[in-house]
Amino acid sequence: MSLISWCYMLLTWAAIIGLNVFCFSRIFARRNGKKQE
Amino acid sequence: MKGSRSDGWATRFGLIMAMAGNAVGLGNFLRFPGKAAPYGGAFMIPYFLTLVLVGIPLMWVEWTIGRHGGGFGHGTTPGMFHRLWKHPISKYLGVFGVLIPAMVGVYYVYIESWSLGYAWLTATGQYWGQTSNDAMRGVFNHYLGVDHEGLISFSPYAYIFFLITFAINITVFALGISKGIEVVAKYCMPTLVVLGIVLMIRVLTLPPVDGRTISDGLAQIWSVRDWSVLLKPDIWLAAAGQIFFTLSVGLGMIHTYASYLRKHEDVVLSGLTACATNELVEVVIGASIAIPVAVLFFGVAQAQEIARGGTFSIGFFALPVIFQQMPGGQFFGTLWFLQLFLAGLTSSMAMFTPLLVFLEDELQLSRRKGVLLVSTMVFVMMQPVVLFMKHGLVDELDYWMGEACLVLFVAIESVVFAWIFGLRQGWEEMHQGADIRLPKIFYYIMQWVTPTFVLVIVIWWLGGSFRDKLLMTGVPAESKPFLWLARAMMIGMLIFLLAGIRHAWRTHPKFFEVVEKEPIEP
Repeated sequence: MSLISWCYMLLTWAAIIGLNVFCFSRIFARRNGKKQE
Repeated sequence: MKGSRSDGWATRFGLIMAMAGNAVGLGNFLRFPGKAAPYGGAFMIPYFLTLVLVGIPLMWVEWTIGRHGGGFGHGTTPGMFHRLWKHPISKYLGVFGVLIPAMVGVYYVYIESWSLGYAWLTATGQYWGQTSNDAMRGVFNHYLGVDHEGLISFSPYAYIFFLITFAINITVFALGISKGIEVVAKYCMPTLVVLGIVLMIRVLTLPPVDGRTISDGLAQIWSVRDWSVLLKPDIWLAAAGQIFFTLSVGLGMIHTYASYLRKHEDVVLSGLTACATNELVEVVIGASIAIPVAVLFFGVAQAQEIARGGTFSIGFFALPVIFQQMPGGQFFGTLWFLQLFLAGLTSSMAMFTPLLVFLEDELQLSRRKGVLLVSTMVFVMMQPVVLFMKHGLVDELDYWMGEACLVLFVAIESVVFAWIFGLRQGWEEMHQGADIRLPKIFYYIMQWVTPTFVLVIVIWWLGGSFRDKLLMTGVPAESKPFLWLARAMMIGMLIFLLAGIRHAWRTHPKFFEVVEKEPIEP
């Protein structure tokens, strides 16, 4: 696999994993915030 | 009137796991490699474009329609569409959101049971020694009983695993949303992701075979060798079909799940999270297992040939051959089929819920009667699917329900939401209680791009294989009566549901009156 393809794959993985981290962190942060209230 | 909507989600994490589980299914591990491999890396371009322009927007639309309808006491799309569009036909257009999941479930549960059966066969090493694709095809045909002479394809083995799978599904769905579906999703989804990561690490660390490395396998998904395939409509249709199938949009199940949300509970972040989890399982995990390992062991040309052989070729023929050749293959093979089973279960357990909820909410049947009626109906309809498998009943049901009606329903709901209900109102409804605010560009995407894209796909599809499928061109004469039986089942269910809608709107019309005041909190 060429260097460009590796970059394409790893950037896509990073974007999807990053999106998951963003979503779940927002959900859990909100849940913890509600518990503290 | 509140109907019988006493059930609901106990936790937000449970809801998201259930929604993600609904999306994550056999399509992530079996269908996706089969669609992507023949086009090489070019497939991922229309795939991601369709995901952003159609898939994710439709997810938000379905969550919004579901929560909006649920506020009026409707758990299924006939009632939900009635609340979006004050026209007598709207409720009848919503019939697809009950019909499609129930009829897809009729064959999906049987396919899911194969994974459980194969997990057992792999764990006990029963096909060990069958080291070619053709030999494994023979094992598969024998497992299903389709290698027998005569009209009926029956295998006691396959039937026992079918009964176990059916019993698990019915038990989960009968327990309801919070005690059944939510509990199973909360445990199965993380387990499924862990199993997937274990398999992915195993595949990515395999040593070279005949000079080929795992990098050559990944190139089959990520390396664009021929840009000209992007000019062919086929690749766009395949990508769009995969996005609909993998996100489970156009199936009516998301609407029903979202109908249990309260008016000020978020749908934007939750919908995006369900999509993100599905993509993690499909693109990061799913794409790193089946195709790379098939290319590693068989080479590019043969792997593409296997992928073209159909959805089950890679998962049930090629991978078992590979498991027999790799270190720890029996263990990892069992994990693979258990993962497939869990992925199937998290999708199928939701498939009969819209039908049950329709009976409860609109026809006001008790839960016990509803569960009994749905279980009996689907079990009876599953029998021809199992017994006449070799005559193409599954393909017939899949074409009309999993492709034709699904695309049609997606087109209807995107037009009703964006152009009839109106996106200005829809956008406001979507953002009520939202944890994140969407960029304004998605307003225009949902307003124009998504409905237009879906309508173009419907037109393309009509100009494609529709006529041949309708007229059964190329179908052997002895199989035609069985395909007519499949059509009779679909039409019978459609008539039952249309009559149910008509009956509901006639017998308790006050429930369906336009309420200008605040919708009922479920």
